[in-house]
Amino acid sequence: MVVNIQSSPFGSQSRTRVLLALRLLDESYARELSRVLEMPLSNAQKALRSLEIDGLVAARAVGRTRVFRLNPRYFARDALQKYLLRLAEPENRLQASIESLRRRPRRTGKPL
Amino acid sequence: MKLTAQSGLGAVATVVGDALRRDGIRAVLTGGACANLYTGGRHQSVDADFIVGSPVSRAAVDLAMEKIDFVRAGDRYVHAQTRFYVEFPRGPLAIGSDYRIRPVEWETKYGRTLILSATDSCRDRLAAFYHWGDRQSLRVAVRIAIAHRVSLAKIRRWSIQEGARGGFEQFANELKRARARK
Repeated sequence: MVVNIQSSPFGSQSRTRVLLALRLLDESYARELSRVLEMPLSNAQKALRSLEIDGLVAARAVGRTRVFRLNPRYFARDALQKYLLRLAEPENRLQASIESLRRRPRRTGKPL
Repeated sequence: MKLTAQSGLGAVATVVGDALRRDGIRAVLTGGACANLYTGGRHQSVDADFIVGSPVSRAAVDLAMEKIDFVRAGDRYVHAQTRFYVEFPRGPLAIGSDYRIRPVEWETKYGRTLILSATDSCRDRLAAFYHWGDRQSLRVAVRIAIAHRVSLAKIRRWSIQEGARGGFEQFANELKRARARK
């Protein structure tokens, strides 16, 4: 038997963790989320799709990528954001993973 | 009323709303199709979004839709004669953080349906402008406010609650300019 050590108040671990990551990242896409959350890409995509149907997240197209964020038009968005921030507090591993992402601009052509 | 390839989105949305109402399903037309009605078809969209107001089974919706020849395809309903499709996004009926929405009745030769009021349809479009920077939605909001009486005081109060005081000022300026051009 596997013991779940994390709660999943949004229906599944994947859905809950995707929401937590989006709260911390502001916006992201399936491949980045699967990397950050260390879950298969298909799980991240499935979670995003179901959260989108529920109206909790929304996406726009940037080139060929669908970029997701918490739905700013969701009627309870303020309460949801506060709740997610609280849920994210003990998530040290997730926070460390997100902090390791470079998201600030990098001039085109500048070597890594 | 039979839908044909020539039926516009407004006709499709009204026929669908009427069929749902006749089957006792309380559903409110929102989004782009609602804006389409208020702009006399000038705002184009390919789908009609209805928010269902009370618990209803998928089978009951299927049955109501089948009576007007719509069939379910995944999470949307399609019709062999028209390219417009129908979706039922999850509720509640809300515009941004405001969920105290009072729909109004829209009646034409195609039937009778519940839709957002002109003020609420305007706010619905403005929400897309405020939160996604979508200027097409700003233009539609202006068109609705020109063609119909809307409560600017209510829109202003709500905009401030949404943290979009500057966005409302842009809307008010665009509206003033559009009215001057008329």
